[in-house]
Amino acid sequence: MATLLINGKTHTVDVDPSTPLLWVIRERLRMTGTKFGCGVAQCGACTVHLDGQAVRSCQTTVGQAAGKKITTIEGLHPEGKHPLQLAWIAEQVPQCGYCQSGQIMTAAALLSRNPNPSDQDIVTAMSGNICRCATYLRIKRAIKRAAQGV
Amino acid sequence: MTTTLSRRAFLSITAVAGVGLTIRIPLVDSAAEAAAAWDPNTALTITPDGIVTIHITKAEMGQGVGTALAQIVAEELEAEWKDVRIDYPTADPKFGLMLTGGSWSVNWTFDTLSRAGAAARLALVDAAATHWKVNAADCVAERGVVRHLPSGRSIRYGEIVAKVPISKTFTEDDLKKLTLKKPGEYRLVGQWVQRLDIPEKTNGRAKFGIDTFLPNMVYAKVAYPPTREGGKHTAVDDSGAKKVKGYVATINLPQLVGVVATSYEAAVKARDALKVTWDPGPHAGVSTETIFASFTKAKDDPDAAAWHEQGDVKAAMAGAGKRHEATFTTDYVAHMQMEPMNCLAHIDKDGVYHIYTGSQFQTFAVGTLAAVLKVDAAKIRLHQHYLGGGFGRRLEPDIMLETALIAREVKRPVKLIRSREEDLRRDFYRSATLQVVKAGLAGDGKIVAWENTLVASHPGKRWGPDFVDKKGLDQFALNGADHVYDIPNQVVRAVPVETGISVGYVRAVAPNYTFFAVETFMDELAKLAGQDPVEYRLSMLSGAPRLAKVLRLAADKAGWGTPLPPNTGRGVACVSAQEKKTPTWTASVVQARVDPSNGAVQIEKIVCAVDCGIVVNPDGARAQIEGSILFGVSNALRERGTVASGALVQSNFHDYQVLRMNEAPEVEVHVVPSTEFPTGLGEPGTTTVAPALSNAIFAATGARVRQVPLLPDRVLAAIRAKA
Repeated sequence: MATLLINGKTHTVDVDPSTPLLWVIRERLRMTGTKFGCGVAQCGACTVHLDGQAVRSCQTTVGQAAGKKITTIEGLHPEGKHPLQLAWIAEQVPQCGYCQSGQIMTAAALLSRNPNPSDQDIVTAMSGNICRCATYLRIKRAIKRAAQGV
Repeated sequence: MTTTLSRRAFLSITAVAGVGLTIRIPLVDSAAEAAAAWDPNTALTITPDGIVTIHITKAEMGQGVGTALAQIVAEELEAEWKDVRIDYPTADPKFGLMLTGGSWSVNWTFDTLSRAGAAARLALVDAAATHWKVNAADCVAERGVVRHLPSGRSIRYGEIVAKVPISKTFTEDDLKKLTLKKPGEYRLVGQWVQRLDIPEKTNGRAKFGIDTFLPNMVYAKVAYPPTREGGKHTAVDDSGAKKVKGYVATINLPQLVGVVATSYEAAVKARDALKVTWDPGPHAGVSTETIFASFTKAKDDPDAAAWHEQGDVKAAMAGAGKRHEATFTTDYVAHMQMEPMNCLAHIDKDGVYHIYTGSQFQTFAVGTLAAVLKVDAAKIRLHQHYLGGGFGRRLEPDIMLETALIAREVKRPVKLIRSREEDLRRDFYRSATLQVVKAGLAGDGKIVAWENTLVASHPGKRWGPDFVDKKGLDQFALNGADHVYDIPNQVVRAVPVETGISVGYVRAVAPNYTFFAVETFMDELAKLAGQDPVEYRLSMLSGAPRLAKVLRLAADKAGWGTPLPPNTGRGVACVSAQEKKTPTWTASVVQARVDPSNGAVQIEKIVCAVDCGIVVNPDGARAQIEGSILFGVSNALRERGTVASGALVQSNFHDYQVLRMNEAPEVEVHVVPSTEFPTGLGEPGTTTVAPALSNAIFAATGARVRQVPLLPDRVLAAIRAKA
């Protein structure tokens, strides 16, 4: 049994503490915005926040997450109107869209610790997130747009 | 909302008052005919609330196809854009050929969907006129409303379908006679509208195949053989698996061995605990070395079929003043779509198989499942979802078949998710290739003879006789080798080779490697002729003025010929991809810096100019060009699949590296305004990158690299060979 605080709600799940958080969020609790991409923290599709820090939920166990504040894409903003989400629409970033929850969660953690990132800051923070459609140029523009509050 | 289709009724429109209007376009009455006709098929619905739902039978895998196709329909329908919705219907023969690929979607549907929209508009106008008892010729439709001009009365589309029964049939001839708008009259086509699928792709609500669940479902994991092809299990010991908490059953079928369990983690544990004895099959000794050795042998095959031939190459080559020959190779490339292959399958009480996944080729998937499961195709219901990347991977029905077979065994809904490692090892790769290109030049540098021998595995051979020509060749393994340069004597010889490594179609398909050889070799010939690479190409493009135009445009915008710092160069490539008969004219200039001490290449900028005819959604077009160019950068710089012991060596993103943000160069896109019939944009840009980059490396260093990917050690070896 593990108790998880996700997006402000407490969930009790009957799993081994070594279970990756990803599979509990997606397949048990069925919050499917968090995606499975590689399982080895190489692609960033499964990024969530743990006490505000971006982590790869495929390499974070339920045991490590228990007692911490977990935020998924569904909880980033109650109406999906976080400045980054609005910027993502304004810049028409997503193509297939599969990696974009992870991209937005990584970008949100970046902006919360560095509200006005340079190009290099953005590249450094975002290069752990793969987008096979290669929407990188628009992701960069959207992060800048959100940072500038446009 | 009922529609009866008949073979004769090319397009029928019916509306039961109060329910809504449905329009269908039964181009053909069977999937087989659809495949033969290569034609699309779609439908739209208008409900009394005025909402126009356009049913998108093309897969949405990032190209924004739903929005573009809806714009085409809404344009002629005179729908109000705010009333337009899209959905992605479950596969059905009534939709004809359900296939998404080849950058075909807009090209194949533009005319049909325009006519469907126009026909629906006429039906609505007629219905309004009937309702008012006035002459239809006095009525016009505009922005979701029909107006009676003499009286000034108006009625909204939703109100019409609520009040008036409609029954109207358009024959093929009727449809052909419809007058469509001229490009100057477009109100929606060519306009920037936001993609309809984007908002839900920013908040986690977009549903991909992997996001589906059913009551009482279990998770499956398959134990895959150690070799890509030909491996078989000979014995299975599941005593360890049975001890795993959550274990449900072992699946031991001729086609596969695996387990099902109550959770994904339990399924992984139980599968890993299976002790399977494998017969690796006949390809266990296959490696990159043996494959290229077999290619090298195959290139001299005296029986190689001529796929494309004109003039007398032998005589022209013998009479040429200068001759040149070069060999180009490319390595295996994997799809690496972000959503690993997965499927949910459920057999209901009536024996109907419900398949939940994202498919690029529903017609083929349903046909394959029906044949293997030995059930009627009507009992396969493929429920379409968003595709977390397609790139050709989701043309294949392999995951659906595995899941359906397991669901039939366990008699419960089964969800099968491949790990990334399994996804990569069970991929259908872009074939490795070897191309030998020879040319003969006249005294003025003009090419008088051209000969290309292309050795590759042909995916169509596996798909079946419908996918190869009479010579057994798959045109999708060859397109592009029949370039558009004015060369009087040419031959392209094709040598298909089976290797034991499964091949399929990967974004931009053959033109990735054919144009790498053609466009790199063209640069070599320009050098041999002592001419500028852009001018040299232009001198041979009299038959392709639109390509000449984009080539000039890309060169101008990139500052072609202006000085650059040391070890930095510009390279160019221009292509008629994806197919010679429906080309998107594309030219790119790559500017790259090479570190001569280690061969490292940094792309500084790419300028791409495109003429694809009418552009339906300008921002979507730009997004496709940017993405396709960067996919090409990824292919050109990094992606190398190698083979050992009959399987791919690489296993995940750490050793099969794809482009990340830190290596993504600036991409400048120029789209030529045009009123020509539209072609596609998902792939052509990709094909320009490797040759333009190889040519840029040559411009920077004088070293010629003829292998893709253009890895640092290959660049360094070329630099050293030159010195």
